[in-house]
Amino acid sequence: MLIRRQKAIRACRLAARLVSLGVVVAALLAVAGLAPRVAAAQPQASPLRIVSIGGAVNEILFALGMGDRVVAVDQTSRYPAAARALPDVGYARALSPEGVLSVGPTLILAMEGAGPPSTMEVLKQASVPVVVIPDGHDREAVLHKIAAVAKAVGAEEKGRALAAEVSDDFAALDAMVKVLPERPRAVFVLSASGGAAVVGGSDTSADAILKLAGLTNAMAEIKGFKPALDEAAMSAEPEAVVVMRGGGQVLDAATVFALPAFAGTPAARDKRLVALPGSYLLGFGPRTPRAARDLAAALHPGAKLPELPARPWSTEPDQ
Amino acid sequence: MSMEGIAMATAEAGTRGRPVTAGLTLFAVLAVAAFVGALAIGPFTIAPGRVFAVLWDWITGAAPAGSLRERIVVLDVRLPRALVGALAGSGMAVAGALMQGVFRNPLADPSLVGVAPGAALAAVAFVVFGAPLVALLPQPLQVVGLPLAAFAGGLVTTLVIARLAEHDGRTSVATLLFAGLALGALASAGTGVMVFLASEQQTRDFLFWTLGSLGGATWMKAALAAPFVLGLLAIAVGLARGLDALALGEAEAFHAGVSVERLKRTAVVAVAAGVGAAVAATGVVGFVGLVVPHLARLVIGPSHRALVPASALLGAAVLLGADILARMIAAPAELPLGVVTALVGAPFFLWLLLKRRAFVG
Amino acid sequence: MYRAENVTVTASGRRLVDGASLTVRPGRVTVLVGPNGAGKSTLLKAMSGEHRLATGRVTLDGISIHDMRPLELARRRAVLPQAAEVAFPFTAAEVITAGLMAGEGHDRARILRLLARVDLPGFADRRYDSLSGGERQRVQLARILAQLDAGKPDAPGYLFLDEPTASLDLAHQLTVLNIARAHADAGGGVLAVLHDLNLAAMVADEIVVLAGGRVRAAGPVAEVLTEPVLADAFGIRLRIGVAPPGPFILPQNVQAAE
Repeated sequence: MLIRRQKAIRACRLAARLVSLGVVVAALLAVAGLAPRVAAAQPQASPLRIVSIGGAVNEILFALGMGDRVVAVDQTSRYPAAARALPDVGYARALSPEGVLSVGPTLILAMEGAGPPSTMEVLKQASVPVVVIPDGHDREAVLHKIAAVAKAVGAEEKGRALAAEVSDDFAALDAMVKVLPERPRAVFVLSASGGAAVVGGSDTSADAILKLAGLTNAMAEIKGFKPALDEAAMSAEPEAVVVMRGGGQVLDAATVFALPAFAGTPAARDKRLVALPGSYLLGFGPRTPRAARDLAAALHPGAKLPELPARPWSTEPDQ
Repeated sequence: MSMEGIAMATAEAGTRGRPVTAGLTLFAVLAVAAFVGALAIGPFTIAPGRVFAVLWDWITGAAPAGSLRERIVVLDVRLPRALVGALAGSGMAVAGALMQGVFRNPLADPSLVGVAPGAALAAVAFVVFGAPLVALLPQPLQVVGLPLAAFAGGLVTTLVIARLAEHDGRTSVATLLFAGLALGALASAGTGVMVFLASEQQTRDFLFWTLGSLGGATWMKAALAAPFVLGLLAIAVGLARGLDALALGEAEAFHAGVSVERLKRTAVVAVAAGVGAAVAATGVVGFVGLVVPHLARLVIGPSHRALVPASALLGAAVLLGADILARMIAAPAELPLGVVTALVGAPFFLWLLLKRRAFVG
Repeated sequence: MYRAENVTVTASGRRLVDGASLTVRPGRVTVLVGPNGAGKSTLLKAMSGEHRLATGRVTLDGISIHDMRPLELARRRAVLPQAAEVAFPFTAAEVITAGLMAGEGHDRARILRLLARVDLPGFADRRYDSLSGGERQRVQLARILAQLDAGKPDAPGYLFLDEPTASLDLAHQLTVLNIARAHADAGGGVLAVLHDLNLAAMVADEIVVLAGGRVRAAGPVAEVLTEPVLADAFGIRLRIGVAPPGPFILPQNVQAAE
């Protein structure tokens, strides 16, 4: 009798285990089933369905008036706001082949370095043309990006017009910056987690934008984005700190100047910190001359720098 | 695992009171279901019927059904991905079962013998310095440069640890553990140096690699991982009896007729090779090696004769299930697989720990 | 015949066993006695193959056991551990199966018979880690019996028992010793380390007295269990009485030697 009861108890426990296991599996499958489904590709010859990878590429596409052809973007494409409403294929260097294919693209425009290679391989096999746009951090590179994107989408005419506008902006910027009497020392701070400032050294997009804005990169001795030694940062005597804003960035003046690295620097004394949207500041797309102008205006307080002429593609405020 | 293999394992386990046959059948059903799910579910919408039509025509060599994209999604994306996932899941879970058996501790996992830290160091070194090396590889192997580096890194680290722990022809499990900790720390330090040297982009690449993904799965990766993982499974089946005896104690296992030293060495090398290959194919995917053997043990009992095939089946099911979630939750982007397994695995493991202290104690 | 010849075992420079020779014969129960730290367990482990020898050799029917593969040796001798923890939640029956590297066909009926023999009927599906020390000891005994059974059913082999009665009550001490006796009567050899001289006197055919790592006396019970030998080995004075069927030592007659 007792034995039979024990057996029954054991059987119940076993059943409970098997059932709970089954529930877990069923839940997994249910979640999978409820997950968002992206509409399947409609295999048609036209119109273009573009997956745009890279903030600058995306801005150029929208500036060319091709925004309505973009069906998905990567996580760095935050401007204009219409792009943020599109499906996000994630980190440009860890693209999912099926994820990209699921939005039914007929063209993939990707900034140099998008990948992984296995995904690019699958996309090529699937007869989706992949056009890689070379990256770069100066005037020529920006104009080249515009030309390359325009060519890929067959909008060469508009591309030339856009390039001319951007070229004019660069020229206006250069004229402004050339006459500035000083080259203040600034440092770009990427992040400050754990009390150590990660700064932009030479050979970075941050270094390039500081130069365009008529500033001296106080951390040019470091190469790349690296944590800066507190003492090195102090002895570099930066007069201003430049940070990114938006996209979850929470670097404010209080946080930055509380870092030991900036204690006693002129920047901390004058509480001089400039925050600009990340893709605006470091994207090296059509709005780059504007970002450099804004930076220069903020950090050359003596000079009265005029605004660059408004363009249709630059009027929307960044996030 | 073939059906005969399962039947044999069942017969050998030979004790009543455990639902060994039922459990193995359940795990086999789950593995098959997860595999089918991995083929049928994805952000690219194809009716399941079309998926199997494409597969059928591919198998029979008939005129291909479906559009080009459907064929590519099924045959070049989902199928290799499901295969790599099944291999990696089986490999990690069986490796976990082997390590728990060798260390006689249900909390052991392959990272104890340095596979993951070693593979990570080699992977990041490859990301930072590997570009010139890729050019030296023959063309078909170029895309798998990083996996090959990770595999070699994991294997070498583990062999060094095993060598350090050997004294006088005997491997001390305690020394193995400490050597594993020390070398793991050393490898992590090396990884830190590499991350420091790396560019922002390389750091992100490496970060994503450490979070694991089946996203880069290709036929090539499946083909490279298969021999090592299948080798690990075969060896694990062969070691199962010895591991059961080892559960009684090292001396007891020797008295029962086990060549304990050879068992430990074989297990460590097989785990290093199998997990190295799995990690190379998927990056670091945590918790499968730790949790799956546990879960299997709850159903079919602790005997390794059943635990090895059960872990292989359940490991494949769990990893494929996690990958379905990873693909669907953030579609068309993809969550890192390691994030999904840890999100599901860690709370489950804690629950298990609290619920069944007796099992662990 | 299972022999230790001039065996020395050292650990951290100390000689735990020092030139000991000992023979275990088929059909005989050989009991190893001696004070704490005499090296009894070490000698048993050396003979089982678990410890390395600094000098000497251990042979089974003339062949050095160190030339035999573990599996070969396991078919001929089985060792009862002193206190055995099992790493995973095995049941009693699974513990028995887990120890079987050789042979097939250990069906459940046989395992149940063995469990009944060690007085654990109905324990097959009980979790090993839920058993008492004494119950675990008997599961382990059933396991090593199964091991010898599976190894060579035609020749019973050798049982090595390290303090098999340590955590057992009186009734089960007798159960275990009767099993040892029966094993010897069936033609097997038994080597047991025992603390209790009365139990030793009761079960042994031959007694080996070990002290300071050396064999002080060896031979039939009546020749070895004498007042001078025990006084020398244990460092105490005592009186030995003789009543059928053999000698007995009364604790109240024991007093410390000066």
